[in-house]
Amino acid sequence: MKLEIENLTKKFQDVAAVDGVSCTLTTGVYGLLGVNGAGKTTLMRMLCTLLKPTEGRILWDGKDIFELDGAYRRVLGYLPQDFGFYPDFTVRDYLRYISSIKGLRPVAARQRTALLLQQVGLEKAENKKMKKLSGGMKRRVGIAQAMLNDPRILILDEPTAGLDPNERIRFRNLISELAQDRLVLLSTHIVSDIEYIANEILLMKDGKICIAGTTEELTAGMPEQVWRVSVPRNEAASYTKRYKVSNIKTLHGEAQLRILSVERPADNAVLEEAVLEDVFLHYFGERAGGGEE
Amino acid sequence: MNQKIPYKSMPPKRVRHKKITDRHNGKEQIYYEIRKVLSGTRSRMAFLLLALVLGITLYFALGVEYVNEAGESERGPAAVASLRAAQKAWSGYLEEETIRQVIAENRRINETPEGRSEQIKESNIAYGWKQGIAEIRSLLNCSYAEAFRTYDYYRADSLTEEAAGAFYENRTRLLQEWLADEAGDQYLEAEKVYLIGKYESLETPFYYDYRKGWTQLFTFAPTVVMITMLFLGYLVAGIFSNEFVWRADAVFFASCHGRDRAVAAKVWAGVGIVTAVYWMVMLIYSAAVLGYLGADGWNCPVQTEQGDWKCFYHLTVWQKYVLIAAGGYVGCLFMAGLCMLVSARVRSAVPAVMVPFVLIFLPSFLGNLESAAVNKILGLLPDRLLQVGTALGYFDLYTLGGRVMGAVPILLVLYGIGAAAVLPVVYWCFVRS
Ligand SMILES: Nc1ncnc2c1ncn2[C@@H]1O[C@H](COP(=O)(O)OP(=O)(O)OP(=O)(O)O)[C@@H](O)[C@H]1O
Ligand SMILES: [Mg+2]
Repeated sequence: MKLEIENLTKKFQDVAAVDGVSCTLTTGVYGLLGVNGAGKTTLMRMLCTLLKPTEGRILWDGKDIFELDGAYRRVLGYLPQDFGFYPDFTVRDYLRYISSIKGLRPVAARQRTALLLQQVGLEKAENKKMKKLSGGMKRRVGIAQAMLNDPRILILDEPTAGLDPNERIRFRNLISELAQDRLVLLSTHIVSDIEYIANEILLMKDGKICIAGTTEELTAGMPEQVWRVSVPRNEAASYTKRYKVSNIKTLHGEAQLRILSVERPADNAVLEEAVLEDVFLHYFGERAGGGEE
Repeated sequence: MNQKIPYKSMPPKRVRHKKITDRHNGKEQIYYEIRKVLSGTRSRMAFLLLALVLGITLYFALGVEYVNEAGESERGPAAVASLRAAQKAWSGYLEEETIRQVIAENRRINETPEGRSEQIKESNIAYGWKQGIAEIRSLLNCSYAEAFRTYDYYRADSLTEEAAGAFYENRTRLLQEWLADEAGDQYLEAEKVYLIGKYESLETPFYYDYRKGWTQLFTFAPTVVMITMLFLGYLVAGIFSNEFVWRADAVFFASCHGRDRAVAAKVWAGVGIVTAVYWMVMLIYSAAVLGYLGADGWNCPVQTEQGDWKCFYHLTVWQKYVLIAAGGYVGCLFMAGLCMLVSARVRSAVPAVMVPFVLIFLPSFLGNLESAAVNKILGLLPDRLLQVGTALGYFDLYTLGGRVMGAVPILLVLYGIGAAAVLPVVYWCFVRS
């Protein structure tokens, strides 16, 4: 079970949204981390055969996925970022319909629908119309939909977008549970979503995977170190100008800064252990989760 | 992480995709596609609207009047029964003798005090007496008209019994005169020969019977079929575009059958909806009209009705009905196919809904141009299929490979093939999007 991406490029007009990506994915959870517009969705849409690459190929166990066509999609589950549905279908109708277009037998469809509704905690909502669900419930239906055919490859594009912290945690648990024995590729720009559940993290920037590895590898491989510095509040601004600051906490007129720097930024600076968020800051030069502004 | 609200664990037994997937679930897909179209308040409203329009049309179609002995108009089942009885009295072959009797009867009534009276009430009474022969009297107006294209309501009143023998000959004679003169440059020589041949070979005498049910059915059929088509256009317009509008396209196309069977299911859902709705409406409409007014006269030649006196097709009333129903179906299927094509192509239902409107209403604007070349094209446009009854009365002739043909058979074949051809195009178009 191996998904090989070879020199994959997708150009919209002249802009390369995905630019020469190569990597090999096997079983496990992969976290695709990147700022808005990094090309995550574009990459995933190609992996789901929704977009044809401008260049490069994607191979599933050595065969081109566009040639495998239906046979490839048979083992694929996809939760799109911009996920819509049939407003007048009930949750159960929706899952049954998706089962049918995924080629499930009616008996299997019934079993899988019941099982997944239970797994995502929606048994009580199965007769609700899709248009009446809350955002979080829709996402959960989205996950259930992707899981119907018990896919080998599960591609989730920002599955936690728009969820409250509680839902986020539930999602994380669900995903790590679903991840056994599959290839899960999960995109997000929120570091904490994948920090603990992803076996491998792919950092994507300007259409390229700039670095990949486990959380430990990434934090260890970071050239800068993480420091904690306590300074008077009025001096904080001069530090944010000079250094990449991943966090500021003000306390009784004092500011506690978390700084990324190769050398010690101040005499009283204390070395801290780097976390994934610091890596994100290092590569993207801005606070993780904060978007572009 | 947060252990207080865990998701329930998956049972250890796992089903593998090879065991749970199967090829033969097309019917289920079609079922859900149809449900996508029919669920929702909007389509329910559309159905109500269709029912309403059908109801109004039926009100007019069934609104047959009978003028009683007192010269008053009546409506309702009793009136229908009276009219039927009055006209049934004249049923039979329209031989010279019958024509003679009709002319005589018409004159007899005209010469009564009521018939001579200028007063409305009196002349209504006289009209009431004429109801039995009214249809045949209209045929006299056609047959003895001054020219092929003129119709004088009072022509029958100036006839004498001696004229009766020319009843059928007049039909051909007027055509010949018209072709030789006014319409001389509109038709090729072969076409003229064809028309005259058709007229001459029509079997006479005509068998006449009370046939009000069919006449009314034919009169309002184009309305019913066109309304149904507009409604169908509304229904099928969303089948493809809604996938994009609802942003459900990504999941759809990323599914195993998203680029083959699931798309075919959409096409079949469209065909199924057109078929079911069309025949349901046709059945309700026909059953209501014929059930109320009677299906008598089904075996008469169509020419026994004033509007079809000049028709050059040799058809009986039931054959005309079959052509109307079949033509309407082919037309709806073709237009719905185009509708789906536009929907799949532009990913929006709005232009798709417009397709039937344009196809139905544009030709009637162009018809005002009165150009022979334009008319030649108009005669073969798909809107004609929605009104085959009317198209049968048009003198649209086409010469194909030396053979002269009327428009109706060409329309049926052309758009039958067209409908069959447009559906794969819709499929292909959506699969590739
Ligand atoms: N259909 C398209 N046409 C033109 N440009 C596009 C199209 N889709 C994406 N792009 C461009 O490609 C780039 C990458 O977009 P993409 O949606 O893949 O980013 P992303 O990483 O998913 O961002 P986000 O985190 O906001 O979801 C963007 O600059 C975007 O403007
Ligand atoms: Mg995205």
